[in-house]
Amino acid sequence: MELQLFHIFRNTPLGRETLLQSAYFCKSVGVRPMLYIPKSTKFLMYFENDVVQVDLDSSYLTASETARANAEMLLEQQGVAAEFFKPKHYTASTLPDIPTDFDFMCCPRSISDLSSKIGLGYIGPRVRRIVQAARFPVLITSPVYKPWKSVAIFFGGSVNAVNAFKLGVRVSRATGAPLRMYTQPGNRDRSEYERILEGENLMQELKDRVEDWIFFDNGSFEDHLYDVPHDALVVLGAYGHGLIKDIVFGSKMEKIQSVISNNLLIVGPRYTAGY
Amino acid sequence: MKRQRIWRFPAAWSLFRRDDRLLLILIGVIVGVCSGLAAVVLNRSLVAMLEWFHGYRLYWWSFLLPGAGAALSSLFLNNLLREGAGHGVPEVIYSVSRYGGLMRMRSSFSRLISSCLTIGTGGSAGPEAPVVMSGAAIGSNIAKFFSLNDRQRVTLVGCGAAGAISSIFNAPIAGLVFSIEVILGEWTALNIIPIAIASVAGTEVSRLLQGNRIPFAHREFHIQLPDTLATVGLAVLCAAASLLLTWSLRRMGRISRKVPAPQWVRAAIGGCAVGLIGGYIPVVLGEGYHSIQAMIDGAFQQGLLLVAAAVFAKTLATAFTLGWGGSGGIFAPCLVIGSFVGLTYHRLLEAVWPAMNWVNEGCFALLGMAGLISGMLQAPLTGIFLIVEITGGYEVVLSLIIVSAVSTTLCHYVESASFYMKDLVDSGHLLRPRTDARVLSDLSVRELLETDCICVHPNMLLRDFIDVLQQARRNYFPVEEEGSNKFLGIIHLDDIRPYLFNPGMYDVVLVGQIMDTEVETVDPQEDLQEILSRMDAMRLFSMPVVSHGVFLGMISKATLLDRYRKELMVQTQHL
Repeated sequence: MELQLFHIFRNTPLGRETLLQSAYFCKSVGVRPMLYIPKSTKFLMYFENDVVQVDLDSSYLTASETARANAEMLLEQQGVAAEFFKPKHYTASTLPDIPTDFDFMCCPRSISDLSSKIGLGYIGPRVRRIVQAARFPVLITSPVYKPWKSVAIFFGGSVNAVNAFKLGVRVSRATGAPLRMYTQPGNRDRSEYERILEGENLMQELKDRVEDWIFFDNGSFEDHLYDVPHDALVVLGAYGHGLIKDIVFGSKMEKIQSVISNNLLIVGPRYTAGY
Repeated sequence: MKRQRIWRFPAAWSLFRRDDRLLLILIGVIVGVCSGLAAVVLNRSLVAMLEWFHGYRLYWWSFLLPGAGAALSSLFLNNLLREGAGHGVPEVIYSVSRYGGLMRMRSSFSRLISSCLTIGTGGSAGPEAPVVMSGAAIGSNIAKFFSLNDRQRVTLVGCGAAGAISSIFNAPIAGLVFSIEVILGEWTALNIIPIAIASVAGTEVSRLLQGNRIPFAHREFHIQLPDTLATVGLAVLCAAASLLLTWSLRRMGRISRKVPAPQWVRAAIGGCAVGLIGGYIPVVLGEGYHSIQAMIDGAFQQGLLLVAAAVFAKTLATAFTLGWGGSGGIFAPCLVIGSFVGLTYHRLLEAVWPAMNWVNEGCFALLGMAGLISGMLQAPLTGIFLIVEITGGYEVVLSLIIVSAVSTTLCHYVESASFYMKDLVDSGHLLRPRTDARVLSDLSVRELLETDCICVHPNMLLRDFIDVLQQARRNYFPVEEEGSNKFLGIIHLDDIRPYLFNPGMYDVVLVGQIMDTEVETVDPQEDLQEILSRMDAMRLFSMPVVSHGVFLGMISKATLLDRYRKELMVQTQHL
């Protein structure tokens, strides 16, 4: 069964960049894009144990009459076949239900500062809830179209980080892109991280695919992010702690994406290695 | 699982792992108390608002009040909370049918506030549907918090709805029956016990905070055989009134959608229209429980024509309120219209047979309420138990049964589904447990895909194909274009039978010459019900699944039946 990436299309210059990025990802990884041109600014996503209402900003409804043609043209330029999603089920007449059985979803960043909207200058609560609840990884694209040439995994040793490692290896294998790993070790040394991968039978993958495993031994995490190539697809696991911890300590995911403008592929706690 | 978060997963505790009934009862009590509290809060807020606005009813501009309330309600619901409008109950049924009772957190309070604004300022609607939605959302979110599964979550949604109805009417049995008959549609011991306990919890909260009183207490009715027989006529009248109300609500909704104005402006227009009607017939304003009490007491002074006019006025006012974007439910308007219908019918009987010793008109008002509720909801048990409990009128239970049964039957004859379920049925979204549609909705083409087919190319010689045939376990062979893998057609074993015993053809015939190119294919996004209908219509046992010209696999009735049976067993294992 072919893999699908769900993309909400915005018929604006920013939306064009995002779609190009999605198309590049699809073409590189061998995934079919499933485009949704929204007719209303909100929709629901029913996950296994959560329902997330996504409130889009009104720019998603811009020039709806040309949206389909523009999207088709952009995908055609990238050599990717377009497929459009039409909601079948509605919770209310203006509230469509979007299925959650896709293999990837693209959540764009935007220049908007409003925290209640999807696609933010920072990753908003909605995107974080999608990451928390979804079985699929979420692709957060760079603000402008930026083809990635390598894959960078941020590995912190958690269960989600192990899943991120598996996904990163698979993306690297599918695209042939070189793979690097980055770790901020904290109290543990390298051998402990290797033991975690060994426990998951991933040592062979580590040896075969990972070109370099870089440890940020001193200094702050943000300072070291400069070492990550600007044209790398960053794969990371979301730690998934609660709102209060996020407010007090800040979100690692938020820090990463506010410092680097790379494309991010985020794996949540419910991710199942479907890909 | 982290040790410190184990309390978030009570279903995994050894105490509840074998049988979760006790767990559902315990959480059901929490849900019942919370939804009961929500109902009391709404009730108290409504009383306060109605009293506060009562002083302004004498001013000429008072007709603007329901308009302002409805506009504020619409702005709050659609612009501030971005909830998506609706009556509430259909959304709860939809969520139970399709998504295991998953509901948004905001639904646990949104309708309480919006309906308070609509009804408190004079809009003609009831607070019951909003508290049902609120209670159901509370149940759903508590289930989500404790990471319960779909079945357990649906039960807690039922607990929330039952607790809310029980609390607002001080009627535990009506709450239980409504929840099972209307919301869940499933009478199982597993559901009934937690929901009954939640009903008790909701009722107790109401009694603790508001006192143990029957909402519409009345004196004793001495109902005779002629009265009982006359109730058949009342049932017919109630069915007609139910259909009129259903039709008006839908028609108003359609008309309002054609008005090129923002939703809050439309709600304001509808509210002002209610205010104007209320200026002439004040009983149409608000939820209208004061007039019900007067009718049951036999103290409603207006004459036959005015009472009959009130039936139409209240119907129109309710349609203006709800159809144009106000927030609220149809329970209370049904009770009010039903009692008006009962009163009208009683006065007609007295006018036609003045010599007969008819029972007090309050009895017919009471029966009319049951008739309207049963007709609108097509839920006769809810109608019977609700009226018995809110009036304490067990002596009229025989007549109640007749009115409810006849009214439900007549309404069902004209409208195949109740007001709450009509849209869901029309769109195929009403998936009651253990029905064919429900089982099929839980399966997908992806799950049923048979991928062990051997694909062949059109340029393959029959001789080579026969070699393939010897290794194959299937009768179907998809034909793909070499290189592009584009699906071209299919070869069935029957297609090559004429050539099979003629070796002279082995090196002459190509696969492309004998393949069937007129093949019915399935898209992976298609619903299984549609696929099965097509298979039945064309007498097919299997079909190829093709996406964008690429063959993905086969889907067959045999595999479908196998998975269907397994799914049915999963859905019924706890019954």
